[in-house]
Amino acid sequence: MKTILSLLAISFASSVFAANELPDRQTELPAVKKAMDTDYLQPRSLDQVPETEFGKMVKLGYSLFVDSQQMRGEFVGNDQNCVNCHMQAGQKANAAPLWAAYSAYPAYRKKNDKVNSYAERIQGCFTYSMNGVPPTYDSEEIKALSAYSYWMMMGGLMDRHGMKGQAVPEVSAKHLQAGAKGADFPFPDKITKAFPVEDRSSLKGRGYPKLAQPEQTPSIERGSDVYSAYCSTCHSADGQGIRGNDGRSYIPPLWGASAYNWGAGMHRINTAAYFIYENMPLGKSATLTKQQAWDVAAYVNSHERPQDPRFKGDLQENRDKYHNHQGYYGQETNGKLLGKDSYPSATVDGQ
Amino acid sequence: MLKRLPVLMFGALLASPSAFAQDMPPTAAVCSGCHGQNGWGLANVAPMLAGLDAGYLSQQIDLFLTGKRKDPIMTAMSATVSDPAIRKQVSEYYASLPAPKVAKPEQRGDRVSFTSAAEKLAYQGDWDRNIPACATCHGPSGVGVDHFPRLAGQQEYYLAKQLNDWKQGKRSGDPLNMMSHIAVQLTTDEIKGLAGFFSTLPSGGQ
Ligand code: HEC
Ligand code: HEC
Ligand code: HEC
Ligand code: HEC
Repeated sequence: MKTILSLLAISFASSVFAANELPDRQTELPAVKKAMDTDYLQPRSLDQVPETEFGKMVKLGYSLFVDSQQMRGEFVGNDQNCVNCHMQAGQKANAAPLWAAYSAYPAYRKKNDKVNSYAERIQGCFTYSMNGVPPTYDSEEIKALSAYSYWMMMGGLMDRHGMKGQAVPEVSAKHLQAGAKGADFPFPDKITKAFPVEDRSSLKGRGYPKLAQPEQTPSIERGSDVYSAYCSTCHSADGQGIRGNDGRSYIPPLWGASAYNWGAGMHRINTAAYFIYENMPLGKSATLTKQQAWDVAAYVNSHERPQDPRFKGDLQENRDKYHNHQGYYGQETNGKLLGKDSYPSATVDGQ
Repeated sequence: MLKRLPVLMFGALLASPSAFAQDMPPTAAVCSGCHGQNGWGLANVAPMLAGLDAGYLSQQIDLFLTGKRKDPIMTAMSATVSDPAIRKQVSEYYASLPAPKVAKPEQRGDRVSFTSAAEKLAYQGDWDRNIPACATCHGPSGVGVDHFPRLAGQQEYYLAKQLNDWKQGKRSGDPLNMMSHIAVQLTTDEIKGLAGFFSTLPSGGQ
């Protein structure tokens, strides 16, 4: 019986094969770069990171950024990896690239009336986007993430200003943590002249490009339809993303206990709309209209998520103090007061 | 977070393909002629089905039946399992069979630089063409995640054929065209490299 079956199979199979062997008449699609906006800084290929102690730090930064779950339970409290929101390992223009961020710090922020260093900015992402507790200012992790960002910025600038092939100079930990906006930041002379302090916070491709206000007020109902059509196949109907058999999250959750918290930039409807319009659905096999991006951003951010870590017990007070922007925190949405039944924040071990 | 996570983890464990290998249902006897007794497929004949997601397998049968995937034999074979109950049983059976193991699946971020163009595509993608890393959707080492099918240990000829089929418009029906959108941009050399890489990932079998 078995032999008859496999004989059958083989004769079947050869006929299958013959039928499928069509000559390749399709002309080859060339693997060319899409017309690059040459104005964007191009970080160097990671193959060029040297095998030095400094180079190892740069590589560690890359690895922590892409696989942040290595820090789960210690500094990271949810299912996110930095790369989930900063595409292409923080290299992609218009997806808040690290090379454009690095030269913009230290930055003065009206909000806390204080100068924020690059290290502090990264710490903020741990507290909010990663719903965790940040590594200390002097930790290996912060130095490594800063070194990775610095290496990309400096390599790109050196290539742009006629220093191709020269190694990226090493800088002290103090400079690394501060960021490259300070007047005393050690740039090669050529770059200091070509890239003055006042230009350093506006490299092309920084952040997520703004969209004009939508024609219609963002609607959670319309957003829900957009979500079912374009997002749920990956992020799941319940917004919890997709886990592998190893229990690990591979497509990130967009709301709920393991998502970014109510203090993260992505919870603002406008920021999420900018991000989504530019980057989702992943790979952009479908393109949303701007209105759809606004609507689905509203829908995603109308769900409960981990509490804003600045919350002291009074929702209204916290909303008034920190949430004067487009978001549903502290508002009644679909019969629920958002922020009232939030999941815990800072969910790392020992908290 | 403690409210939800354990439930999800438990669900994930139950769904694990190697947890319970089922007995072969009678309808699968004929399938195994091409797809192998262990479901690992046969070189240059038919793909591995073992360990693929049951929902994915069942959906593919639907695509053969509706002509979105074109293969004379598999279309005929699909008709024999068009009854939803039988199709479900066969799909769950193949999903339950263990696939060749990858000792330590490689995550995105584990390696910084790559000498092989195919491996770079697999773990870093090529964003100038809007191609995300294959591992983003297909999981570490391409071991598969839910309805994103397993590539690791899949028959080499089959991987290349699918990518070429998408390129030539002979396969469709993938959600949001997300896979065809990627495949049309791959060159013949890249397809060869990717098929070679993923098919040989599990080293030394089970
Ligand atoms: C949930 C999405 C998300 C995750 C995860 C995330 N970020 Fe961000 N990040 C953002 C958003 C949104 C902004 C822009 C904030 C704004 O507009 O206020 C940002 C801004 C930044 C900036 C400043 C950019 C600039 O141009 O000033 C840096 C640096 C940064 N993130 C680093 C990180 C690091 C490091 C991690 C991982 C530890 C991380 N991010 C994880 C969403 C995220
Ligand atoms: C093809 C699968 C896929 C589809 C479809 C998709 N996403 Fe994503 N999305 C991803 C993946 C994967 C990431 C993480 C990217 C990475 O790590 O490189 C992501 C990241 C995100 C993020 C970053 C925030 C976070 O919490 O990590 C948001 C927001 C998001 N997607 C929203 C959407 C919306 C809204 C849609 C529908 C318009 C959508 N996505 C469609 C796969 C998808
Ligand atoms: C005569 C050989 C043969 C037999 C018998 C056969 N198949 Fe197939 N099967 C194939 C081939 C060849 C393909 C690949 C078709 C293509 O190239 O698209 C395939 C593909 C598939 C796929 C898609 C796999 C994927 O990864 O997408 C499924 C599912 C499948 N077969 C199920 C079955 C089932 C169930 C049976 C029994 C009822 C069966 N096959 C019997 C040859 C066979
Ligand atoms: C955005 C998510 C995504 C990315 C990134 C992705 N794939 Fe896929 N891939 C899919 C989905 C979804 C399917 C299943 C299609 C279907 O259900 O018909 C698939 C199917 C396949 C198949 C057919 C498998 C089978 O059993 O028939 C191959 C081969 C494949 N992908 C190769 C690749 C390669 C190589 C890369 C990287 C260059 C890649 N994919 C990147 C989503 C993705």
